[in-house]
Amino acid sequence: MISVFRFFIFAVPVSLLSFLYFFINDNDYYPGADFTVSEMPAFELNALYDNSIISNSDLKGSYLINVWASWCITCRIEHGFLVRLDAQNIPIVGLNYKDDKDDAIEWLSKYKDPYGLIIHDFSGSLALDMGVTGAPETFLVKDGKIIAHFSGEVNKRIWSDLFVPVIKKEKVKWNDQI
Amino acid sequence: MIKYSLLTILFFTQLIISDSLYNFENAADEKRFYNLIKEIRCPKCTSGSLASSNAPVSVDIKEKIIELIKEGKTDKEIKEYIALRFGNSVLYNPGFNQDTYFLWIAPFAILFISMTFYYFRRRIK
Repeated sequence: MISVFRFFIFAVPVSLLSFLYFFINDNDYYPGADFTVSEMPAFELNALYDNSIISNSDLKGSYLINVWASWCITCRIEHGFLVRLDAQNIPIVGLNYKDDKDDAIEWLSKYKDPYGLIIHDFSGSLALDMGVTGAPETFLVKDGKIIAHFSGEVNKRIWSDLFVPVIKKEKVKWNDQI
Repeated sequence: MIKYSLLTILFFTQLIISDSLYNFENAADEKRFYNLIKEIRCPKCTSGSLASSNAPVSVDIKEKIIELIKEGKTDKEIKEYIALRFGNSVLYNPGFNQDTYFLWIAPFAILFISMTFYYFRRRIK
């Protein structure tokens, strides 16, 4: 009987630890990344350049949404990589977040414009609906569903570690209209 | 003389202009709002509540909560709305779901195991 209890002294902590390791441990964890699938919220906002109205019906297929602002320093750091993505014909929708229109346009003319379409979200209403906590943030949308969300600067490593696997897995076909 | 009287006015007059930061239709709504912002975490802060935060995103969320209260949404619906967008971690009181079942059950399970252990140990002696 005592040997059974000696066994238990050993077995209980080991089973607890292995349970924690196998069930609670999250190997895919990446700070700032979120892969829960959610609907792209409905919106109606002005375009940055010409004030025309952009709504959900203008955004079809698969594309990236990048939240940026001219006051955001990390966006400036991220910008070069977005320009490179644009050169690879990846459609990027810009969501100009709580920014002055003139500042935003000036910023783009200075540093190149990688966006196919820019939504001017002055009040941050669409951003709030999408769960944006700050800039920069990048979303991958496929057929009206957000399938990946990253808060922070997207660079070569983040792109190949987080976005490329999802793009391959979900067989994303980019929207070539944007 | 005019100089002195102007100075007196300048130094001894207090102008207090005030308006409530948020406007509510009734006191119950106001109470609900202040309870809700204590129970929801600011997504941008290191574990501070919305009530404690003036971060731009917290200000936006607070305004959204007021909007939702005015639309007649219940507290549960408002919490769901925010948790859906900013993750379950924004709720201070974690619900019982796939991510949290261990958190809820573990203390009772450990208590049960140790009680059983203790019981049998006494019997052996």
